[in-house]
Amino acid sequence: MEFRPILLSIKHNKAIAMLVIIQVAITLTVLSGSLLMTTSTLKEWNLPSGIPHDNIISAVPQFYDLDVDVRQSVVDDLAGIKALPGVINASPVTQRPFDAQGIQKVYLDATNEAQEYDTNIFTGDANFHEVLQLSLIEGRLFRENEIVTGKKDELNATPPIVMVSEDMAKALFPDGDALGKTIWLAKGASPVEIIGIYSNFMNGERLNYFGQSYRTVLQPLVTWQNREDPSYLIRVEDGMAEGLLETVRNQLYQIDGRYINQVEVLTRTQKRMYDGRGSHAIMLLVISIILLLITAFGMAGLVSFLVTQRQKQIGTRRALGATKWDVVRYFMLENGILTSIGILTGLVLSIVFAFVLTEDSGVNILDMSYIFATAFFILLINQLAVYFPAKKAANVEPAIVTRAA
Amino acid sequence: MFAYNAKLAFKSLNDRPSLTILMVAAIAIGLGLFMTTLTLAHQAGKIPIPHISQQIHLVQLDNREVTADDAENFNEMVDLTYQDTNNLLNLNMAGAEQTLVWNSYGILNVEEQNIQPLRSSIVATNHAFFNMFEVPFLYGKAWDSDADQFAQAVIVLTKKSNDYLFGGTNSVGQQVRLNTQVLTVIGVLDDWFLARKFYDRSYYQAFPDQGLIPSNFAFDNNFPRNARFDCWSTTTNPRKFTNNYLTELKTSECAWITFWAKLPNNTKEDYQTQLGQYIDSQKLLGRFPRKNQYFLTNINEQLSIISSMGGRQQMLGVISYMFFAVCLINAVSILLAKFMRRTKEVSLRRALGAKKRTILQQHLIEVILIGVIGGLFGIAVTYLSLQAMLRVNLYASDYMRTAADLMPYHQMDWEMIMMAFSVSVGCTLLVGLYPIWRICNVSPASQLKAQ
Repeated sequence: MEFRPILLSIKHNKAIAMLVIIQVAITLTVLSGSLLMTTSTLKEWNLPSGIPHDNIISAVPQFYDLDVDVRQSVVDDLAGIKALPGVINASPVTQRPFDAQGIQKVYLDATNEAQEYDTNIFTGDANFHEVLQLSLIEGRLFRENEIVTGKKDELNATPPIVMVSEDMAKALFPDGDALGKTIWLAKGASPVEIIGIYSNFMNGERLNYFGQSYRTVLQPLVTWQNREDPSYLIRVEDGMAEGLLETVRNQLYQIDGRYINQVEVLTRTQKRMYDGRGSHAIMLLVISIILLLITAFGMAGLVSFLVTQRQKQIGTRRALGATKWDVVRYFMLENGILTSIGILTGLVLSIVFAFVLTEDSGVNILDMSYIFATAFFILLINQLAVYFPAKKAANVEPAIVTRAA
Repeated sequence: MFAYNAKLAFKSLNDRPSLTILMVAAIAIGLGLFMTTLTLAHQAGKIPIPHISQQIHLVQLDNREVTADDAENFNEMVDLTYQDTNNLLNLNMAGAEQTLVWNSYGILNVEEQNIQPLRSSIVATNHAFFNMFEVPFLYGKAWDSDADQFAQAVIVLTKKSNDYLFGGTNSVGQQVRLNTQVLTVIGVLDDWFLARKFYDRSYYQAFPDQGLIPSNFAFDNNFPRNARFDCWSTTTNPRKFTNNYLTELKTSECAWITFWAKLPNNTKEDYQTQLGQYIDSQKLLGRFPRKNQYFLTNINEQLSIISSMGGRQQMLGVISYMFFAVCLINAVSILLAKFMRRTKEVSLRRALGAKKRTILQQHLIEVILIGVIGGLFGIAVTYLSLQAMLRVNLYASDYMRTAADLMPYHQMDWEMIMMAFSVSVGCTLLVGLYPIWRICNVSPASQLKAQ
């Protein structure tokens, strides 16, 4: 094999060899580090929402005048909104998809030791499923007369029935017999019966982060309390959402004493849910790609330069009977050896770096498969960067060696 | 000789332009990212109101239980309780100005029907705030101590909220409602740029407040208290104090009010003595069970403690250093290869009588040229990538912050431009030393043997 001459040649050009090794090592460290951070931040990123979010408008009124009759205003708002041209249906809610706050728990029995299941509890009236275009998988929908309406601390009783999402049903009752079962929405609360199962929709950032994006429970409930007033979800005709925002806002400002916040298409709510993670990850990804390009071009430039310098050597070898492929292989092997040493060094650095990042961010991001993949990719890029200049150089006429220098 | 060497250096750069472009591009891009993180850190590290920042002290008293953990710095210490805030304000602290700050929020609205209400974050404070922090006024003036004492319904608007509510006109004397309370505008602030919003300890960049009202007025009307309540002697959920239980809060040992003292030269010791005496007097009443401890931390000290804490920015910093290193190594390996090719030429020149110094000069010029050109392009790349970062941050804040608000944090100043330049030339020279050393040590005529 050609190892000996290659090693001799590397020894001859120690400095450049060292530089290549260092470059590969650091590139691997930076690349795998940012790749690990990117993948950990992009986990569960931009999942399907399960709802036609482009056609749903949300509005979040906040009463600052506490004397306003909220019950009447909800009735008036809904009537006003539904009368707007282009509006299909609307429902008063306490939480919006993509925006569910915090994590709530539900339980399978009333004891203190009951196992808890993370979820987000949504509320709405009988139009909720139609606004979000959820399909009914099992059971039945809420009826008008089952909706409980009132100020939170003045409610006589909470509704005795709930609906759950497909994923929630599966999480609670893996055997698929959730319909008709009883669950508890809080410790010590009264039990509620599952009367229907609807198709999944995105809850919000918190549960999404834990891979439980579609676990929701729906109560037939319209409630409010001081400074926490019902929000509205409004489904509109296809493509009309952006144009209707101003109209909806003005409609809601018909009632004084409140501020109308976040009149927006749910597309934007969805964007906001992800963009802290997304923008950061994409920035890192761009940096990584630039770095990779620089390394690749730098390597190609360097190699092509070194190769042309060794034209005479190549010519000699060709004259002595080496095939073109022998020449190309020689250079690729040389580069392969250097890159591999760099990669071995880089692997150690990468693992250390991943540990540091893990310590800093508190999220375990170490995943060897990504580091190996990056290493392989760098090897591939470097080999490509060598292949083309080497192939060009191998075309040297064997006779060149006989010419004067 | 210099001219000749310079010519040779230029010629060499021109010789294989693609390699030169590669080197310059590597340096420029590496430098660009490096300078971007450096500039962001530089702007973020700027001190608000720098000419008085060392006099402005955050005051914290340790009223906690005996069992509480020791605090190393202000960041681990609780703020002030309502009673201590009041007591300190009533003490006559010679030479010291004092103010309190807490955050509230509400909806600002005017009678005018076509101006929609404005969701506002509101600062509750006292009259000393404006003088202490040298707040610039566009119209009107700050309220006086009477307004504090009698909880008058007055408000100081910021320039932006005045622009929104009153179209930028002089609104002094006009009425504005905060939720349902009617207040009289007493002053309007001019643009007040703070590198960081220090006064409520949020240290936010580009999240300005919309108005300031007397703290006592805010108490009387029970505006929400947007604060963290560190309650050591009550076990009930302290978040209940946000909207309710004001009477209980006022007598509790819950620390939640940010308190500031402006201590000009030589008054700090006096102030410390008085704080010590105050704590002693309170101990007689059975408060302050721990050993006398208080923190007086000026703005500079606060920021240096805050900035030493890590975060994503720091990770980006580490990555950008390594990135720059890769780019430099990339450039230098090309440089080395290029120089080594010239061995024959150099040894010929040496044989013909060229001094080592001449060779050194020629290659030094070449390396410096690369550094200078790399620096120039690097500054351009920095500018572009800062613009990109601005867009990213705008996007990530869901356009809640404005480009104008964010701009100061994404701008290079002369200091940074000079820095970029010297980093570029310095680093290129540093990594270029080895190739230069190699080429200068080529012995005369050594390479002229027949091959």
